[in-house]
Amino acid sequence: MVTAIPRVQVPASVTRNELFLVKTLISHRMETGLRKDAHGKTIPRQIINRFLCRFNGVDVFKVDLHEAVAANPFFEFSLRATESGTLDFVWEEDGGAIYTLSHQLTVN
Amino acid sequence: MHLTRRNVLLGGTSGLVAVGLPSIDVRAQEEAIDLVELLTGHRAVPSDRLRLLMPSTFPNGYTVPLTLEVDTPMTERDHVRNVRIFAPKNPINEVVGFHFAPLRSAPRVSTRIRLAAPQNVVAVAEMNDGAFLMTQTFVQVATNGCV
Repeated sequence: MVTAIPRVQVPASVTRNELFLVKTLISHRMETGLRKDAHGKTIPRQIINRFLCRFNGVDVFKVDLHEAVAANPFFEFSLRATESGTLDFVWEEDGGAIYTLSHQLTVN
Repeated sequence: MHLTRRNVLLGGTSGLVAVGLPSIDVRAQEEAIDLVELLTGHRAVPSDRLRLLMPSTFPNGYTVPLTLEVDTPMTERDHVRNVRIFAPKNPINEVVGFHFAPLRSAPRVSTRIRLAAPQNVVAVAEMNDGAFLMTQTFVQVATNGCV
Protein backbone atom coordinates (compact mmCIF):
# COMPACT_ATOMS: atom_id res chain seq x y z
CA MET A 1 0.00 0.00 0.00
CA VAL A 2 1.16 3.50 -0.78
CA THR A 3 1.82 5.56 2.31
CA ALA A 4 -0.54 8.45 2.76
CA ILE A 5 1.21 11.82 2.65
CA PRO A 6 -0.47 14.65 4.58
CA ARG A 7 0.03 18.28 3.72
CA VAL A 8 -1.21 21.53 5.25
CA GLN A 9 -1.05 25.15 4.23
CA VAL A 10 -1.35 27.65 7.11
CA PRO A 11 0.05 31.18 7.44
CA ALA A 12 3.17 31.33 9.64
CA SER A 13 1.78 34.33 11.50
CA VAL A 14 -1.76 35.63 11.87
CA THR A 15 -3.52 38.58 13.44
CA ARG A 16 -5.11 38.04 16.86
CA ASN A 17 -8.81 37.12 16.61
CA GLU A 18 -8.90 37.38 12.81
CA LEU A 19 -9.92 34.43 10.65
CA PHE A 20 -7.14 32.70 8.75
CA LEU A 21 -7.47 30.03 6.07
CA VAL A 22 -6.27 26.47 6.59
CA LYS A 23 -5.90 24.08 3.66
CA THR A 24 -5.29 20.38 4.27
CA LEU A 25 -4.77 17.50 1.88
CA ILE A 26 -3.77 13.88 2.35
CA SER A 27 -2.86 11.73 -0.62
CA HIS A 28 -5.02 8.67 -0.10
CA ARG A 29 -6.89 6.29 -2.36
CA MET A 30 -10.03 6.25 -0.14
CA GLU A 31 -10.93 2.69 -1.17
CA THR A 32 -14.71 2.56 -0.64
CA GLY A 33 -15.15 -1.19 -0.10
CA LEU A 34 -17.73 -1.15 -2.90
CA ARG A 35 -15.39 -2.10 -5.72
CA LYS A 36 -14.50 -5.60 -6.87
CA ASP A 37 -11.14 -6.79 -8.21
CA ALA A 38 -10.56 -8.67 -11.49
CA HIS A 39 -11.61 -11.95 -9.79
CA GLY A 40 -14.89 -10.53 -8.53
CA LYS A 41 -13.63 -10.32 -4.96
CA THR A 42 -14.61 -7.21 -2.99
CA ILE A 43 -11.68 -4.86 -2.34
CA PRO A 44 -11.83 -4.12 1.41
CA ARG A 45 -12.68 -0.64 2.61
CA GLN A 46 -9.65 1.46 3.47
CA ILE A 47 -10.48 5.12 4.05
CA ILE A 48 -9.44 8.02 6.23
CA ASN A 49 -12.46 8.00 8.56
CA ARG A 50 -11.66 11.00 10.77
CA PHE A 51 -9.80 14.26 10.54
CA LEU A 52 -9.02 16.44 13.56
CA CYS A 53 -7.54 19.87 13.93
CA ARG A 54 -6.44 20.86 17.46
CA PHE A 55 -5.06 24.14 18.69
CA ASN A 56 -3.04 23.96 21.90
CA GLY A 57 -4.69 20.64 22.67
CA VAL A 58 -8.29 21.80 22.10
CA ASP A 59 -10.38 20.45 19.19
CA VAL A 60 -11.22 23.34 16.88
CA PHE A 61 -12.44 21.51 13.77
CA LYS A 62 -13.31 17.85 13.15
CA VAL A 63 -14.56 15.85 10.20
CA ASP A 64 -16.22 12.42 10.04
CA LEU A 65 -15.40 10.98 6.64
CA HIS A 66 -17.50 8.32 4.95
CA GLU A 67 -17.05 6.44 1.68
CA ALA A 68 -18.16 9.30 -0.57
CA VAL A 69 -15.41 11.76 0.35
CA ALA A 70 -13.32 11.99 -2.82
CA ALA A 71 -9.88 10.37 -3.03
CA ASN A 72 -7.07 12.55 -1.61
CA PRO A 73 -9.37 14.20 0.96
CA PHE A 74 -9.04 17.96 0.92
CA PHE A 75 -10.49 20.40 3.44
CA GLU A 76 -10.39 24.14 3.43
CA PHE A 77 -11.63 25.88 6.59
CA SER A 78 -11.00 28.99 8.66
CA LEU A 79 -9.91 29.42 12.28
CA ARG A 80 -9.16 32.22 14.66
CA ALA A 81 -6.64 32.30 17.49
CA THR A 82 -6.06 34.59 20.45
CA GLU A 83 -2.58 33.40 21.37
CA SER A 84 0.40 31.75 19.67
CA GLY A 85 0.58 28.00 19.83
CA THR A 86 0.61 24.66 18.07
CA LEU A 87 -1.87 23.48 15.49
CA ASP A 88 -2.00 19.68 15.33
CA PHE A 89 -3.55 17.88 12.38
CA VAL A 90 -4.54 14.20 12.69
CA TRP A 91 -5.87 11.86 10.01
CA GLU A 92 -7.20 8.49 11.25
CA GLU A 93 -7.32 5.58 8.82
CA ASP A 94 -9.41 2.37 8.91
CA GLY A 95 -7.39 -0.20 10.85
CA GLY A 96 -6.01 2.36 13.29
CA ALA A 97 -3.14 3.97 11.38
CA ILE A 98 -2.68 7.66 12.18
CA TYR A 99 -0.99 10.39 10.16
CA THR A 100 -0.09 13.68 11.83
CA LEU A 101 1.38 17.09 11.14
CA SER A 102 2.14 20.00 13.48
CA HIS A 103 2.37 23.67 12.73
CA GLN A 104 3.67 26.51 14.93
CA LEU A 105 1.38 29.51 14.73
CA THR A 106 2.53 32.98 15.75
CA VAL A 107 -0.24 35.36 16.70
CA ASN A 108 0.48 39.08 16.49
CA MET B 1 -63.52 38.52 -21.00
CA HIS B 2 -64.70 36.71 -24.12
CA LEU B 3 -64.49 33.00 -23.97
CA THR B 4 -62.09 32.55 -26.88
CA ARG B 5 -59.71 29.67 -27.46
CA ARG B 6 -56.75 31.94 -26.67
CA ASN B 7 -58.20 33.14 -23.38
CA VAL B 8 -59.08 29.65 -22.28
CA LEU B 9 -55.57 28.45 -23.06
CA LEU B 10 -53.94 31.41 -21.28
CA GLY B 11 -56.13 30.96 -18.25
CA GLY B 12 -55.44 27.27 -18.14
CA THR B 13 -51.68 27.70 -18.41
CA SER B 14 -51.39 30.39 -15.72
CA GLY B 15 -53.53 28.22 -13.48
CA LEU B 16 -51.09 25.36 -13.97
CA VAL B 17 -48.13 27.58 -13.20
CA ALA B 18 -49.72 29.01 -10.08
CA VAL B 19 -51.01 25.74 -8.68
CA GLY B 20 -48.86 23.06 -10.32
CA LEU B 21 -45.28 24.19 -9.66
CA PRO B 22 -45.47 25.05 -5.97
CA SER B 23 -47.11 21.74 -5.18
CA ILE B 24 -44.20 19.89 -6.84
CA ASP B 25 -41.72 21.97 -4.80
CA VAL B 26 -43.64 21.36 -1.63
CA ARG B 27 -43.76 17.63 -2.29
CA ALA B 28 -40.01 17.50 -3.02
CA GLN B 29 -39.33 19.40 0.18
CA GLU B 30 -41.61 17.13 2.22
CA GLU B 31 -39.79 14.11 0.79
CA ALA B 32 -36.44 15.63 1.73
CA ILE B 33 -37.65 16.36 5.28
CA ASP B 34 -38.88 12.77 5.64
CA LEU B 35 -35.59 11.46 4.31
CA VAL B 36 -33.61 13.55 6.79
CA GLU B 37 -35.80 12.23 9.61
CA LEU B 38 -35.11 8.68 8.45
CA LEU B 39 -31.35 9.29 8.27
CA THR B 40 -30.82 11.40 11.38
CA GLY B 41 -33.84 10.75 13.58
CA HIS B 42 -34.59 14.48 13.63
CA ARG B 43 -37.23 16.55 11.88
CA ALA B 44 -35.26 19.39 10.29
CA VAL B 45 -36.55 22.77 9.13
CA PRO B 46 -35.57 23.99 5.64
CA SER B 47 -33.58 27.17 6.18
CA ASP B 48 -31.65 29.71 4.14
CA ARG B 49 -29.20 30.12 7.06
CA LEU B 50 -27.56 27.02 5.63
CA ARG B 51 -26.03 27.11 2.14
CA LEU B 52 -24.67 24.23 0.11
CA LEU B 53 -22.66 25.65 -2.77
CA MET B 54 -22.08 23.09 -5.51
CA PRO B 55 -21.93 23.21 -9.31
CA SER B 56 -25.34 22.51 -10.85
CA THR B 57 -23.65 20.30 -13.44
CA PHE B 58 -20.28 18.58 -13.18
CA PRO B 59 -18.61 16.29 -15.74
CA ASN B 60 -17.59 13.49 -13.37
CA GLY B 61 -18.88 12.14 -10.09
CA TYR B 62 -15.46 11.45 -8.55
CA THR B 63 -14.48 14.90 -7.29
CA VAL B 64 -17.48 17.18 -7.08
CA PRO B 65 -16.62 20.44 -5.25
CA LEU B 66 -18.73 21.23 -2.19
CA THR B 67 -18.72 24.36 -0.05
CA LEU B 68 -20.89 24.64 3.02
CA GLU B 69 -21.74 27.89 4.80
CA VAL B 70 -23.89 28.56 7.85
CA ASP B 71 -25.13 31.99 8.93
CA THR B 72 -24.13 32.18 12.58
CA PRO B 73 -21.82 34.45 14.60
CA MET B 74 -20.16 31.36 16.19
CA THR B 75 -20.51 32.83 19.68
CA GLU B 76 -21.09 30.66 22.77
CA ARG B 77 -24.76 31.66 22.60
CA ASP B 78 -25.32 31.17 18.85
CA HIS B 79 -23.30 28.64 16.89
CA VAL B 80 -23.55 25.57 14.73
CA ARG B 81 -22.42 22.32 16.36
CA ASN B 82 -22.17 20.09 13.34
CA VAL B 83 -23.36 19.62 9.78
CA ARG B 84 -23.92 16.26 8.09
CA ILE B 85 -24.01 15.89 4.30
CA PHE B 86 -26.09 13.19 2.60
CA ALA B 87 -26.27 11.96 -1.00
CA PRO B 88 -29.52 9.93 -1.06
CA LYS B 89 -28.73 8.25 -4.39
CA ASN B 90 -25.26 7.08 -3.37
CA PRO B 91 -24.93 3.42 -2.28
CA ILE B 92 -24.00 4.75 1.18
CA ASN B 93 -26.06 7.86 1.92
CA GLU B 94 -23.90 9.63 4.47
CA VAL B 95 -21.03 11.51 2.85
CA VAL B 96 -19.28 13.61 5.48
CA GLY B 97 -19.86 15.35 8.83
CA PHE B 98 -18.24 18.59 10.03
CA HIS B 99 -17.87 19.64 13.67
CA PHE B 100 -17.27 23.31 14.45
CA ALA B 101 -16.14 25.06 17.65
CA PRO B 102 -17.60 28.37 18.88
CA LEU B 103 -15.14 31.31 18.85
CA ARG B 104 -12.54 29.11 17.14
CA SER B 105 -13.73 27.99 13.72
CA ALA B 106 -15.69 29.78 11.01
CA PRO B 107 -18.95 28.11 9.92
CA ARG B 108 -17.60 27.41 6.47
CA VAL B 109 -15.76 24.49 4.84
CA SER B 110 -14.89 23.25 1.36
CA THR B 111 -14.11 19.72 0.20
CA ARG B 112 -14.74 17.33 -2.70
CA ILE B 113 -17.17 14.43 -2.75
CA ARG B 114 -18.28 11.48 -4.90
CA LEU B 115 -21.75 11.27 -6.41
CA ALA B 116 -23.14 8.07 -7.94
CA ALA B 117 -25.92 9.78 -9.92
CA PRO B 118 -27.55 13.17 -10.54
CA GLN B 119 -29.31 13.99 -7.27
CA ASN B 120 -30.21 16.44 -4.55
CA VAL B 121 -27.36 16.71 -2.06
CA VAL B 122 -28.71 17.38 1.44
CA ALA B 123 -27.08 19.21 4.37
CA VAL B 124 -28.42 19.01 7.93
CA ALA B 125 -27.10 21.39 10.59
CA GLU B 126 -27.46 20.96 14.34
CA MET B 127 -27.44 24.37 16.02
CA ASN B 128 -26.41 24.90 19.66
CA ASP B 129 -30.04 25.56 20.69
CA GLY B 130 -30.99 22.08 19.49
CA ALA B 131 -32.61 23.23 16.23
CA PHE B 132 -32.01 21.14 13.11
CA LEU B 133 -31.82 23.10 9.85
CA MET B 134 -31.58 21.65 6.38
CA THR B 135 -31.00 22.62 2.78
CA GLN B 136 -30.54 20.77 -0.48
CA THR B 137 -29.10 21.47 -3.89
CA PHE B 138 -29.40 19.54 -7.14
CA VAL B 139 -26.20 18.39 -8.83
CA GLN B 140 -26.14 16.86 -12.29
CA VAL B 141 -23.16 14.53 -12.77
CA ALA B 142 -22.38 12.74 -16.02
CA THR B 143 -20.52 9.73 -14.58
CA ASN B 144 -20.91 7.54 -11.51
CA GLY B 145 -18.20 8.44 -8.98
CA CYS B 146 -18.84 5.55 -6.60
CA VAL B 147 -17.40 2.64 -8.60
